[in-house]
Amino acid sequence: MTNKNKKGNGNDGRAAKQSVKQRSEDSQDYSSLKTVLFYCSLIVFLPVATFFALKGFVLDKFFSMGELKVNIASAVGAVVALHLAFGLYIYRAYFTDTKSQTKQD
Amino acid sequence: MSSEVTSSDNPIYGPFFGVMGASSAIIFSALGAAYGTAKSGTGIAAMSVMRPELIMKSIIPVVMAGIIAIYGLVVAVLIAGALEEPSKYPLFKGFVHLGAGLAVGFSGLAAGFAIGIVGDAGVRGTAQQPRLFVGMILILIFAEVLGLYGLIVAIYLYAK
Repeated sequence: MTNKNKKGNGNDGRAAKQSVKQRSEDSQDYSSLKTVLFYCSLIVFLPVATFFALKGFVLDKFFSMGELKVNIASAVGAVVALHLAFGLYIYRAYFTDTKSQTKQD
Repeated sequence: MSSEVTSSDNPIYGPFFGVMGASSAIIFSALGAAYGTAKSGTGIAAMSVMRPELIMKSIIPVVMAGIIAIYGLVVAVLIAGALEEPSKYPLFKGFVHLGAGLAVGFSGLAAGFAIGIVGDAGVRGTAQQPRLFVGMILILIFAEVLGLYGLIVAIYLYAK
């Protein structure tokens, strides 16, 4: 609703303040980049890792299971792991961003 | 080499259907995911000019579009793992695998379209009214679930 425009505040501050603000913005961008990169790699690689780990592990442990069932179980496990990672990301995005916004004000 | 054991139940072209199923699973899912990523990406780019602090929240449609492609990948890997030589691969299996691939592929295409359009409008709206975020997530989840339905049907078909 209220337009808290960062750019407008920065222009009011001027010169010396500007570089400090720029640096803090850079570090903030870097930390958010780290978080996003971490969660994105988690979402991309966790299901793949779960699929093959489950395929090897379940095949070892429950040897009576057929090849088909092992494949299906590992596929379902991979999709469940994917959604867990994604839910974690939504949780983090929803709560961290509101916190950082209050810090900025 | 194996053509002497082929019959009307195991014709030489049987695996063709399975191969088409595996490739259509990933092709159409990737199409949907690409559209979703591009469409919501333009929205994020337009929104981030004024509200760069919202980028982490607004990446969510892109991630959801990526998940659609992972559904297709899972089914394609499953089908590709079950492909055999024509002598061990009945035509029925080929049809079932083609159906599974098309199920997840076209569902992924539809879900990707929905995610792209909703993500674009939702991200632009969230920049103006942050309380829209919860609504955008809910709508995106309902779009995502369409792809999940396709995955469920595909796995069910694959288990036949």
